[in-house]
This record gives sequence, C-alpha cells and structure tokens, in this order.
Amino acid sequence: MKKILMMLGLSSVLVLSLNAAEKDHRTMLMKDMRSMLEAMEIIQRGGLYSSTEEMKLGVKKLQGTLKVLESEEIKFILPKDQVYAYKFAQKTASMLRLYSDDMITSIEAGHMDEALEDYNQLLKQCTSCHIRIRNW
Amino acid sequence: MERRNFLKIMAAGAAVVAVNPSLIRGTLYADDGRLYVTYEKAQIVDASGTPIKASSLEKEMTYIFNYPYASTPCMLINLPESTQQEVELKSETGESYVWKNGVGKDRTVVAYVAICAHQMTHPTPNDSFIQYVPKSKPTMAYSKSGIIVCSSHLSAYDAAAGAKVLGGAATQPLAAVVLNVAEDDTIWAVGILGPDKFQDYFKSFKPELKEFYGGIAQAKQLVSISAKTVKLSEFSKEVIQY
Repeated sequence: MKKILMMLGLSSVLVLSLNAAEKDHRTMLMKDMRSMLEAMEIIQRGGLYSSTEEMKLGVKKLQGTLKVLESEEIKFILPKDQVYAYKFAQKTASMLRLYSDDMITSIEAGHMDEALEDYNQLLKQCTSCHIRIRNW
Repeated sequence: MERRNFLKIMAAGAAVVAVNPSLIRGTLYADDGRLYVTYEKAQIVDASGTPIKASSLEKEMTYIFNYPYASTPCMLINLPESTQQEVELKSETGESYVWKNGVGKDRTVVAYVAICAHQMTHPTPNDSFIQYVPKSKPTMAYSKSGIIVCSSHLSAYDAAAGAKVLGGAATQPLAAVVLNVAEDDTIWAVGILGPDKFQDYFKSFKPELKEFYGGIAQAKQLVSISAKTVKLSEFSKEVIQY
C-alpha cells in the first residue's frame, strides 16, 4: 500500500512539473511574441518619423527574441499540432535575422528605401509564419 | 500592288496579330506572348561540366540547376511515367497558356522554376522546403505523392501536368523551364513558360542573394552556354519535406 501511495505521489509530482514546464515554455513564447510585436512597432514608428535610431533600437529588440526561435527549444514552445513544423519556424527566425541585419546595413549606408523594404520583408516573414503555425 | 491594297493587307494583318498575338510565334499559346520568354540556350551539365543525358537521369530524383539567371533555381525531374500533353494552365491574373509535355524518349523529363508561386520559397545552399516527392513517400500537402510540394505552406503541384496547382495556398502553377532534348539525348534549357516571379524574387531576397552570390548584379547575370546541375541533396545542406 505504502509503495502504491508513493508511486502515485511521484507520478503526480512528475505530471505537475511537466505541466509547469510546458506552461513556462508557452509563457516564454507569448512573451517573445509580444516583444517581437513591440519591436516591429518601434521599427515602423522609426521609419515613419525618420528616426534611424529608433529603427535600430527596434532591430536590437527584435533580434533579442530570435535566439529561442532559432534553437531546438522552439519544439517546446510551438503548439502541439505544429511541433513537426519547427524547421519552418527556425527558417523564419533566420530570415528575420537576415533582413534585420540588412536593415542596419541599409540605414548605415543611408539607403532608407532599402531599409523600409527590409521592414516589409520582416513583416512578411511574421505573417508567413503565422499563416502556417497558427493555421490562418 | 496599289498603295491602297497594300495598306489594307497591312491593316488586316495587324488586326489579326492584335487579336491573337500568339499567331506570329507559331508554337506559343500565351494570350500576348508575355508568358513565354526565350533566354540563351543552356546545356544541362553535371558538376564536372559533362553534358547530362536525359536517359541517365535517376527516376524521381530532384536535380537543381540555375536558369535563366545565375541565382534562380530550377528543378529537373525524370518522372516515373509519361507526362500529360497540351495542358491548359492559367496564371493568377487570368492569362492562359499551354504546357506541351515532358521531353525525352518517354516524355518523362520535366523542369520547373523552383520558386514557389505562393511566397517564393526556394532552395538555398542552406536548406530547401520545395522538392519533388517520390510516389513512395507520403506528404501532408496532398492525398497522393509523385508531385512537387512546397513544405512552407504545403502547396502541391502536379509535376506531370505543367506544375498545375493541386492544393495549398498557391494560386498559379510554377513557371516551367522549356527543355529541348537533342538527338544525342543531351538536354537544353531554352526558355521560361508561365508566370515567373523573378523580379519579385530579386527584390525580396536581396540580402540572401548578396550572401550567396556576392551581390544583386551577380545574382541577375544570365546563364550562358551551360547550367550546372546537382541533386537537391547536394545543393542544399538540409532538405525539409512534410
């Protein structure tokens, strides 16, 4: 009896900790997505108000969120039915890095039209991933 | 001939061409000819520069070559069965055109531009989400395999019917590479049929093209004389297929 109770206790702890970990990952994803949205808003505001500093600030914030998406950790934070598509999410993250790096290069070279084109491409990557992962 | 008669004939000829411009091209079927563009003829060769023969292509293998530009990837596939013939296709803007058939002895060899018609997913040296899925391999994009699948948003194209859309988000076929097979069985790319997205591709993937080809000017260079062809698994480090 004692053994059964101990086993039940241990299983409950395990299930609860797994749930907590999953919740943590989901919370992390939601936090990252909110940060990405804020970053995109900052870049857009910078572009519309001709503030290159603000655009750079937005890029820095955006790139700060990419590490998790680029890593294998992405598997833990994607919706369960979309975990198989983690490579697609990783690819999206690497494209976000590529375009945001290019935005900095364009800003520094004074090519604002190209920097704004990079913004368009960033937005396209965001929506492309949402279409796929969130089944729009 | 009197001047008046001459003018009448010229006007009638111009009217016929205006109504159906494809008449002046004989074998072209696009409404206004714009859906078929000829480029410099390029021979399909392997990595060492040896011409590839149509009959030597592995069945159901995705090969990649760049054409008509140095950075625009195309798929070359030897299908397990003969293709359909005279397939009527439509671009997303409503222009009709006809894809004739596969080439080679059994009409099994086809080539398409490997830039997805939906969001321009394409193979890069890093990865590829677009490929031909052999008949024996399942895909999430469609109920049967033996088709081309873009695994980004699961668009499916009929490889044996001019890359007609079978399912997914794509709204028009992949552009086709027009191939000729010479008497000695060597393969030549001669043009592009259907709605290509080359200009959008150059615009959208500028940073990537800079990274892989050294710059936009290099990426936009037209392929000349020959086009090197490798298996997709050699072209891209990672091939992802759902």
